[in-house]
Amino acid sequence: MLDYFPQYLFNGLLIGTNYALIAMGLTVIFGLMNIANFAHGQFYMLGGFIAYQLTTTLGLNFFAALVVSVVVVTGLGILLERTIFKRLRNKPLISSVLVTIGLAILIENLALVLWGARPEAIPNPFPLTPVQIGPIFTTQPRLFAVVVTLAAIVIIHLLLHYTRAGKAVRATFQQQEAAALVGIDIELIYSITFGIGAGLAALGGVLLGTIFYVNPTMGDVATLKAFVVTILGGMGSFPGAIVGGLLLGIAESFGTLVSSAYKDAIGYVLVILVLLYRPQGLFGKA
Amino acid sequence: MLLSRLAFWIAATLFVLALPFVLGEGYHLHLLIMATIFAIVAAGLDITVGYAGLLSLGHAAFFGIGAYTSALLFLHFGIPMWGGMISGAVLAGLAAFLLGFLILNVRGHRFVISTVAFAEIMRLVANNWTDVTRGQRGLPGILPPVIDLPWGGSINFVSKTAFFYLAVAIAVICIGIMWRIAHSPLGDAFIALRENEHLAESVGIDARRHAIQAFTIGGFFAGIGGSLYAHYVSFVGPDLLNFSYTTIFLVMVVTGGMGTIIGPVVGALVFTLLPEYLRIAEGYRLIIFGGILVLVMLFLSNGMIDIWTRLRNWLRRMSPTTGAQSTDA
Amino acid sequence: MRAKSLVFGTLLVATMLMPHAFAHADDLLVGAVYPITGPVAYDGQTEWNGAKLAVEEVNAKGGVFGKTLKLDVQDGACNPAQSVSAAEKLIAQTKVASLLGAFCSSSTGAVMEVAKKYGIPLVTGVSTAQDLTKQGNKWFFRATDTSALLGQAFAPAIAKLGAKRVAFLVVNDDWGRAVASSYGEALKKQGSEIVDTEIFSRDDTDLFPYITKIKAQKPDVVISAANTQLAANVTKQLRQLGVTATLMGEGAFTSESYLKLVGSLGKDVIGLAEYVPAIDNAANKAFVKSYKEHYNEEPSKFSAAAYQAVHILADAINRARSTDPEEIRQALLKTDYNGLTGNFKFASNGQAYNFDVYMAKNTDSGPAIVGKGSIPNSE
Repeated sequence: MLDYFPQYLFNGLLIGTNYALIAMGLTVIFGLMNIANFAHGQFYMLGGFIAYQLTTTLGLNFFAALVVSVVVVTGLGILLERTIFKRLRNKPLISSVLVTIGLAILIENLALVLWGARPEAIPNPFPLTPVQIGPIFTTQPRLFAVVVTLAAIVIIHLLLHYTRAGKAVRATFQQQEAAALVGIDIELIYSITFGIGAGLAALGGVLLGTIFYVNPTMGDVATLKAFVVTILGGMGSFPGAIVGGLLLGIAESFGTLVSSAYKDAIGYVLVILVLLYRPQGLFGKA
Repeated sequence: MLLSRLAFWIAATLFVLALPFVLGEGYHLHLLIMATIFAIVAAGLDITVGYAGLLSLGHAAFFGIGAYTSALLFLHFGIPMWGGMISGAVLAGLAAFLLGFLILNVRGHRFVISTVAFAEIMRLVANNWTDVTRGQRGLPGILPPVIDLPWGGSINFVSKTAFFYLAVAIAVICIGIMWRIAHSPLGDAFIALRENEHLAESVGIDARRHAIQAFTIGGFFAGIGGSLYAHYVSFVGPDLLNFSYTTIFLVMVVTGGMGTIIGPVVGALVFTLLPEYLRIAEGYRLIIFGGILVLVMLFLSNGMIDIWTRLRNWLRRMSPTTGAQSTDA
Repeated sequence: MRAKSLVFGTLLVATMLMPHAFAHADDLLVGAVYPITGPVAYDGQTEWNGAKLAVEEVNAKGGVFGKTLKLDVQDGACNPAQSVSAAEKLIAQTKVASLLGAFCSSSTGAVMEVAKKYGIPLVTGVSTAQDLTKQGNKWFFRATDTSALLGQAFAPAIAKLGAKRVAFLVVNDDWGRAVASSYGEALKKQGSEIVDTEIFSRDDTDLFPYITKIKAQKPDVVISAANTQLAANVTKQLRQLGVTATLMGEGAFTSESYLKLVGSLGKDVIGLAEYVPAIDNAANKAFVKSYKEHYNEEPSKFSAAAYQAVHILADAINRARSTDPEEIRQALLKTDYNGLTGNFKFASNGQAYNFDVYMAKNTDSGPAIVGKGSIPNSE
């Protein structure tokens, strides 16, 4: 069993990066805008399906479809923020919870009507054969996913810390009123941030749809995982989402050694433990 | 004033008693029974969410615990619904108490997520502890109670009419209790907790203790509903602990009107019947449902009760013969 | 507040007394609870398609003792409570003579209670949970097998293929576990060693952790239980992790949608199925042709299951020459029906027997039948 340790670790890291991607979007929305977005997983699902649609009916090149899909969902996120989520900003938690749940039901069933219940694979140029790196077996789509995720993380980091726009975003979330006073367009910042969060989730969806499949119900589990990771890592913290995602992925991977049926419970138990002993999560502020 | 109130209650009682005969032993009565069961759960959730302001996203777990407890006691020990219901409610309440005790140091989103986590863990247990729960196969054959009458004969509650009356009676008792709680100093403490916790603490209200109490009460009544469900549908499965049940309970509470007890009851009625009536729309049913949820929450967040209250106030203002002008919302 | 409740309540009661859908006097109404929405919506829709085809054929041949067969389908969504409501609606409001459904075993279990309550026959072509025929519910008829029976039927053939070390990779529900336990027992009797059993959740997309464990045990046969998407995941990921064992599975391992998803990785995979479109008899050839003409794709095993269930039910009602539930039930017990997969008879506990089941291997020209079994009488 120990010779398979690297394989388990690698499996865990891979699924962990996917968790990280979708959690990065949610941690911003949840942690900074205080909106419990239960429809977050739907952005994930839409990302996958739009990419599928682009590659099949429009015959678009896979990589182009990936980019376009992310852009489209980012736009959708901005639209939703301007119309619906803006109204939720100062409402009690329960409003955001129920509105987003309603939104999730609506989007999921709309997808069911549009695309049918059938799972679909996103056509991609990667071969199906395994790739062996030492003792580890993996596939090209998975490696691609890791690379893209890491790239996305780096890009976000650079944007946040080395551009004026990034500074504006950070300023808004640290001290909204002061930011407004120095002329930062708060509304714009909120919209864009929300949009990017949705876009990140969509990216995760496309990557996952490339490795596995897309189906209209894939958003539900994604939402739950995103919340778990957000809590674990600390709400509002990007590093938290990344580290939290990786940790959850690895924990679940090794957890299957103990019990495959209760593997999902690991995340939930961790959440409760974290909330008991370190409610701010790994990287959050107390 | 007292006379008109009495007249109202008599009329309402007669109306309810007549329903089974108007509707017949069929589909519609079935829906009303389900609505009654859910009304009990929704009212309990109102205490937790509406009065104490604790957004519990794990309520289906307590519903499920009540259902499974009652089912298992019946199937293994032959304990009829009466005992099963009390046991189910007590166990559900206990679970809520323990979870609350554990987790109610935190509030807000953290509390919310931990209730989600708890409910998911419970669902996984229901699904995988196959030795006890039989997993996906579920527990079939849970019979409604039978009362042997002292003068011979018996009432078998397998008849829908009989079960309807039983469910309504239990609901009235439960909702009555909850109403009393809500309008007692305890209820006031819950509201204080919801409105401004720090302020409440400063006047000596132990926030955590009251939060645990509100949470436990909600869990207890969810357990009662779960037991009734088990003995009516005769089948209990892990699906009862799905997030979708929690969602629908919350919808009932919020769209009915939080913090009113009666509002969630109305909400239960509407949201039991609505998805069924949307059956004609088939594939679009849930899309419509989701849309309704979004719209109601955005624009009618005080619930349907609020519409009526506003309508009544508006009517009063329009009528020149009323004395005092009402200004309350 | 009080007036409001009364008005509201009255309005609701009024809307409840909605006009009933009226049927003609020479219609024979049968109800079906299928999962049109929900987690198995796609399979539910193929099931409905098969049923529709059967209804058409029955009516083309003169209907059921002169009456037109009408199928009223309600959505059970593979959810017990919803399936119960659907059944209530069909029985109490639409007043159907018989029920079909409800696909997922737990939903069928719940609907069985409703059928028992009202005394209406219920026929399922899909639900394989062993438990259902062990409850002593005389109204329930299962026109398909259980994993236990399949395991017994197939074990000799599997052992012959050289299954010394067997591993299981099954979905976490009653069906998956039943496959693991019943095939496991049957194969042990044939001398095989069960080296690992992995159970994955329906929501799991990444099966690498489980497959890694299986790989460590070096099996020569991996037996799986999964439907379409999960079956595709199992296949793909097994091969991607470098497991070369023969893959066999109950579920969707030879279906058209599965093959579309796995492409070349599906080659040589063996499906353990109640039905494959490649079955070579006149009835099935006609069925597949007709299905393709209507729906532009090959029938799934659920299409075939519903098709047969409808025919079996119609045949029974025809023999009973009545809509009385008890007479239909008696007629069902005496069923001796030749369908797409052989001859169907029912034991006294409602379990069908005597029909064929198939081992089909995926080849370049589609699934080819490499073995057959016959479902024994369980009594």
